[in-house]
Amino acid sequence: MYSAPETMPIELPTFHADISLPYTLTPGRAAGTFLAEVKNKRIIGSRFASGMVVAPAEDFSSVDGEEPESFVEAPQTGVLTAFTRVDGEVIGFIKLDGCDNEFPHKILADLSDLAVGQRVEAEWQDGVEESITAIKGFRLAPDAPEGAVKPAGETEEPLGSIKYALSLPYEHAYGPYYGRMFDEIRENGRVMGVRCTNADVALLPPREIDDISHKKTGTWKTCADTGTIRGCSIINMEFVGQTREPPYVYAEIVLDGASTRLIHMIEIDDVEDAKKRIKPGTRVRAIWTEGERKGSMSDIERFEVIDE
Amino acid sequence: MGHHVGIVGVGQTHHARRRTDVSQAGLVREAVDRALADANLTIEEIDSVVVATGPVLFAAVNHPELWVANAIGAQGKPVMRVTSGGGAGFAGALAGYYQVAGGYSQRTLVVAYDKLSEGPLQYSISTLYDPFWGREFAVGIMGFSAAYWRARMDVLGHTEEAAAMVAAKNRNNAINNPYAHQKKAVTVDDVINSRPLCWPIKLLDVPPISDGAAAIVLANEKVAAKSTTRPAWIRGMAYCCEADNAAERSMMLSEPLALASKQVYRAAGITNPRRQFDVVEVQEPYSCFELNYYESLGLCPPGGAAELVASGATQLDGDIPVNPSGGCMGANPIGAVGVIRLIEGATQVMGRNESNQIKDAKLALVQSGGGWANLRGCAVLSA
Repeated sequence: MYSAPETMPIELPTFHADISLPYTLTPGRAAGTFLAEVKNKRIIGSRFASGMVVAPAEDFSSVDGEEPESFVEAPQTGVLTAFTRVDGEVIGFIKLDGCDNEFPHKILADLSDLAVGQRVEAEWQDGVEESITAIKGFRLAPDAPEGAVKPAGETEEPLGSIKYALSLPYEHAYGPYYGRMFDEIRENGRVMGVRCTNADVALLPPREIDDISHKKTGTWKTCADTGTIRGCSIINMEFVGQTREPPYVYAEIVLDGASTRLIHMIEIDDVEDAKKRIKPGTRVRAIWTEGERKGSMSDIERFEVIDE
Repeated sequence: MGHHVGIVGVGQTHHARRRTDVSQAGLVREAVDRALADANLTIEEIDSVVVATGPVLFAAVNHPELWVANAIGAQGKPVMRVTSGGGAGFAGALAGYYQVAGGYSQRTLVVAYDKLSEGPLQYSISTLYDPFWGREFAVGIMGFSAAYWRARMDVLGHTEEAAAMVAAKNRNNAINNPYAHQKKAVTVDDVINSRPLCWPIKLLDVPPISDGAAAIVLANEKVAAKSTTRPAWIRGMAYCCEADNAAERSMMLSEPLALASKQVYRAAGITNPRRQFDVVEVQEPYSCFELNYYESLGLCPPGGAAELVASGATQLDGDIPVNPSGGCMGANPIGAVGVIRLIEGATQVMGRNESNQIKDAKLALVQSGGGWANLRGCAVLSA
């Protein structure tokens, strides 16, 4: 028998998170040589034993995995094999004269003027090095003569590494349990969990199903601002993405009234004193931030040791 | 159970802090060429391929198996990527084991790698934390690991000195490992006096950051002889998981490893691991982990790890040598490490280990793990 779903999708606020990472990527010998040569306005390709020529250059044949016999200089002219428009820019696949592969790049023309099979020619951009964007794009060149693949001759040293960065924005859905917990943190400055199935202690973060009994969890319960350290370490090092200045204590804390741990920080003045004073079993209290709360764990600014 | 599965060929790169001469694909190619040559095979004779790596964020290439497949000539074959953090290589090998044991493949190539020089490591690892709950305060797994080592000091006696003994043992063993890149003799005092990173974890308790790849060829009993007269047979292999933030989770012993070892020992007929195994290879992301594994693997009773390492039993000349290769302390290309540990264990029972061959080794125990601290596995290899 058909039964209606218990929940319907509704629009709710999301939790915004950014992941931003710097990289030093290794292009390898072939791509590294291609990237090193763009400053000379040359397109370096790979020639394989089978006679296949691939440009831009690649370290391994996509047919059988073999390594190239030699590098070649590919011509700057070719044929458009496919095209589309993305965010107002025209992107196409280009097959350079004498080469066996197609690769994507910008097409410097209006979409309405394009047709598969048209002749195109590379247009270079001054001031760009070590990137395929040194080629600004490919423009229509109906009268361009057929180019030929030439021996590369002397080539620049391949680039060993290339700077790169990823910046990834996310909008995470809270769901009903996290939604209530963070709403309580923001509106009432209290941490609430849900009771597990067999005791009057709260699971933090709250969840629908008890991990151990696999049964539905119980009613909501407010945990205290005080708790006990279960594990802790002293962070002495600096790293990318760190939110506080070391040294400080990384602590896994079980709040009074809860049975699972939360991760937070304890500020310290003296490392040697902290080794002795802050350890599993040490009692701590949450110190909330002043002013408006955001509805995240960082609304608790830090934990402090309770002098008992 | 279907077929017997043996490791019939192995290969690894000379691991390095940074390999700027090869891309990820080129790194993989090196290990695969070596493993295929060792197995007396070409890629044409391989039925299926498993590619194992750590998280994509380590080196910013999504679906790296596509890139890798080109580089090793795997076009047209079943290719599957497996990822499980630090245990990626081991989980990949387990996927390959299932394929051969189940009769879906006669020979499977497993290649595992990471190129950790390319991205920010601790930050990438921190993204395994719940974005709502803990990520903003996370310190990779180092903060977490140090916190529970600190707790184990109080409860189990896993002292700073005991972990320093592990670090010194493994670092000194790595000196003879031709594939390691950190090879410097250190003393227990050197470890204890090294710079704290996340106290109690100090600089010399932590392996290097590495670029590296490792590959093995798995084969069934019908075709193994083409590659070698002496395969390393897999007598049991398992990888278990536990709930992440459950109320009853013990932070003192690794429960999933205890579960996995129970299954594997049963399959392999191991009743007294300390006496039966000739050699052990474990994946120790920090020195303190190895102490924990001694206990979860049943090499000593809970709380006996500090005594075990202090007794010298796990040294090269002890009765249960652990990490004759130097473990992660010689090189730590994270996603590859599970396969590297299998290679080191396999070559011991094949009688041709290149680091420190244990005389007459017939039975090896290999451990690996990943995810946070809650995915752990082990395997038994025999001559």
